[in-house]
Amino acid sequence: MPDLCLYFEAHQPNRLKPYSFFDIGNNPFYEDDALNREVVEKVSEKCYLPANAMFRELAAEHGGRFKMALSLSGVLIEQLEHHRPDVLASFVELHDTGCVELLCETYYHSLCFRASGAEFRRQVELQRAKIREVFGAEPKVFRHTELVYFNELAAFVEGLGFEGMLAEGVDRILGGRSPNHLYRSPNVGALKTLTRNCRLSDDLAFRFADSGWSEHPLTPEKFAGWCAGEEGQVVNLFMDYETIGEHQWRDSGIFEFWRGFPAAALASGCRFVTPSEAVAGHDAAGEYDCHEITTWADASKDLSPWKANPMQFEAKKKILSLEKAVLAQGDPELLHQWSKMQTSDHFYYMSTKGGDDGAVHEYFRPYPSAYDAYLYFMNSLSDLQVRLRRLDGGRGAAARPAGVDALNYRPARRD
Amino acid sequence: MKRPNVLMLGWEFPPLINGGLGIACLGLGRAMAAHSDLTFFLPKTDPDFAVGNVELLGFNHLDPPATSVGQGEVDLRRFASVETIPADLLPYVEPGEPAELRRESTATATGPPPPAGLAAFGPDDLAPFQSDTLYGDDVGEKVYRYARVAAGLAESREFELVHAHDWMTFPAGIEIKRRTGRPLVLHVHSLAYDRAGPDARGWVYDIERAAMEEADLVIPVSRYTGTICTGHYGIDPGKVHFVHNGAEPVRAYRSEKPFPEKMVLFLGRLTGQKGPEFFLEIAAKVLEGNRDVRFVMAGTGERLKELIEAGAFRDVGDRLHFTGFLNKDKVNHLLSMTDVYCMPSVSEPFGLSAVEAAQFDIPAVISKQSGVAEVLTHARMADYWDVDLMASHINELLTDPAAHAAAVEASLEDQRNCTWDAAAGRIVDLYRAELGVC
Repeated sequence: MPDLCLYFEAHQPNRLKPYSFFDIGNNPFYEDDALNREVVEKVSEKCYLPANAMFRELAAEHGGRFKMALSLSGVLIEQLEHHRPDVLASFVELHDTGCVELLCETYYHSLCFRASGAEFRRQVELQRAKIREVFGAEPKVFRHTELVYFNELAAFVEGLGFEGMLAEGVDRILGGRSPNHLYRSPNVGALKTLTRNCRLSDDLAFRFADSGWSEHPLTPEKFAGWCAGEEGQVVNLFMDYETIGEHQWRDSGIFEFWRGFPAAALASGCRFVTPSEAVAGHDAAGEYDCHEITTWADASKDLSPWKANPMQFEAKKKILSLEKAVLAQGDPELLHQWSKMQTSDHFYYMSTKGGDDGAVHEYFRPYPSAYDAYLYFMNSLSDLQVRLRRLDGGRGAAARPAGVDALNYRPARRD
Repeated sequence: MKRPNVLMLGWEFPPLINGGLGIACLGLGRAMAAHSDLTFFLPKTDPDFAVGNVELLGFNHLDPPATSVGQGEVDLRRFASVETIPADLLPYVEPGEPAELRRESTATATGPPPPAGLAAFGPDDLAPFQSDTLYGDDVGEKVYRYARVAAGLAESREFELVHAHDWMTFPAGIEIKRRTGRPLVLHVHSLAYDRAGPDARGWVYDIERAAMEEADLVIPVSRYTGTICTGHYGIDPGKVHFVHNGAEPVRAYRSEKPFPEKMVLFLGRLTGQKGPEFFLEIAAKVLEGNRDVRFVMAGTGERLKELIEAGAFRDVGDRLHFTGFLNKDKVNHLLSMTDVYCMPSVSEPFGLSAVEAAQFDIPAVISKQSGVAEVLTHARMADYWDVDLMASHINELLTDPAAHAAAVEASLEDQRNCTWDAAAGRIVDLYRAELGVC
């Protein structure tokens, strides 16, 4: 009987305001503070607070037998510090039960690895420091934005000191093998890869509330039975934390499901493990040779939600191309502002996909269309360019202060 | 000399509809009032808006007649036989117009053909003029109702000639000429050829052509458009006489750009006629050699999305900006910051916006396929497709301050000839010379 490994991702981006051409050069504030606050408030009430309370109780009920993993993006932690410190405190309390392992990711929930290893490393170190500061924890397992995974990245992440990394269990890479094993990319030393069981994960993340689904309504007992019936070392159930109460509303019965699931799973003989326990407790069962970039998103399980049309390509390329110019300024606030524009959601909103995937993009997009998302982003980017040009004005490259070690920059707390 | 008594047939009119056609009719009407006794039949008027010495008769304010007014029956199929509307049904929208016209893509809407009979008008005929828009899917119905009402009213009025503005009022003009025997003058602000391309055929084209054939005098807004009337539509050159539009004086001002780059402006609907794709190509070309420029496309239209994507593909998304629809104040604000105006229209009967830019001391780079090129004779020109030449003109104006200053200076001289008063005087002269009126 396989172990069960639960992992939830909690993240909210800093959405941009409808930033017009007339703002360029006039308005150095790009984010829609009111909207971002509103979303954090809403998701806190519908998901974070009740889910944290529920899992805290489950941890207490089952002693050490119920376990889970969480990752909070740095930008979400910041927003909670600013708008809802009480909610951040409830995450800390949940972690303090000892049943929750915190994973590491890039602070800005970004997709910058290909463009700049240094920038990627900076954001990982920033996140490590934040997790240490807020939770007093040292993550051992890494997950990249949207479960981005490929061999080269796995090797880089191992070099940053991580023991395990999460990935989507992509059929075309697994080649018929089960995702319920630990694997290893061919170019790493010891880093183990946990592959998401997408069928069972998506039962909870997407199909749970669908009354047209043949298995609806899904009970904890039925689902525990499915898990217990799986073969392999560990069943990896990875999903957004917001699926509990936000993407799937309370009246779908999602809270009742999770409240009952640990007992049902334990009763059917399963054991809960955290990602680092799975890594420590099992050998890699085979090679996971992932040359292409895979993610957990859309049907294609690739980068296409963020990088498919010319708008996404251009926006992503141009924001990352400012790295040197921004670092050269030695201004922590400017660096932070630039970094927040790397958050993957900005590019997700620019997707012009149709069909079922397109409907999901539509659901999350705070603007009328992908084109608006692109225009607001590019106008903001243009302002950033203008500011950099002004800051540079007259002094010339030679007079610039040498770029200080990027890792020494910490975004100032906003409170 | 006696003042001619003129019945004008208009469609758009400020302040309700501020499209290019409406602006031109208002400017012309004001100036004509000094030379003639003038009545305007309009589908919609605002009762609080008066133009000195001009009678504005809005069909939206007519009391429904107790009995049918006027007589006669005419078959519109006589000159309009096609069953779809191929033309852009919002042909005159410019940035700076009210919301009712601000619709993205009605370019190829099809609608029912106009009903066949043009009988005396009754209460039903007035209903369409209560709606908010003058275009839309039932534009054919509105054009037909307008003709019935206008012809019915004209029968009981005194006037010496009827002067109709663009195809929406041409059926009314023909019918009035038929019933009253007064000479018909057609003012051509825009043709299906411009809006929908040289290959466009359909009942709008048919109306334009049939009306111009029946007219006694055709007044296109430029020599350029006159050549389309005579060449493309085959109208007798002997009755085609162009009169350039004028421009209302504006209170121009300059304001500081909030960014260090130069700025090049495109102002117009994002639709094939205005050549927005060429503007994009020109922008990409200029930016290849000079990154210190921002290009701005102000306006909206059915090409917006593809233009945005094309700009991203050409890697100029941080230098080519789309503002969407803008009101007049915002347009003026843009003009006040602009260094060069670019109008690469594929076919532009006049192109008032280039004159408006000149009023803001902005040198223009315009397509040879525009009427305004005949007025702004000192402006830099190129064929609309000659992206290289357009780009080199722009580069010169952006990088050579002396050339920029000289271009502004020269355009001041061009503007002096561009008044509505001059246009009105020439029109009245044409009435006399061509129609023998007065």
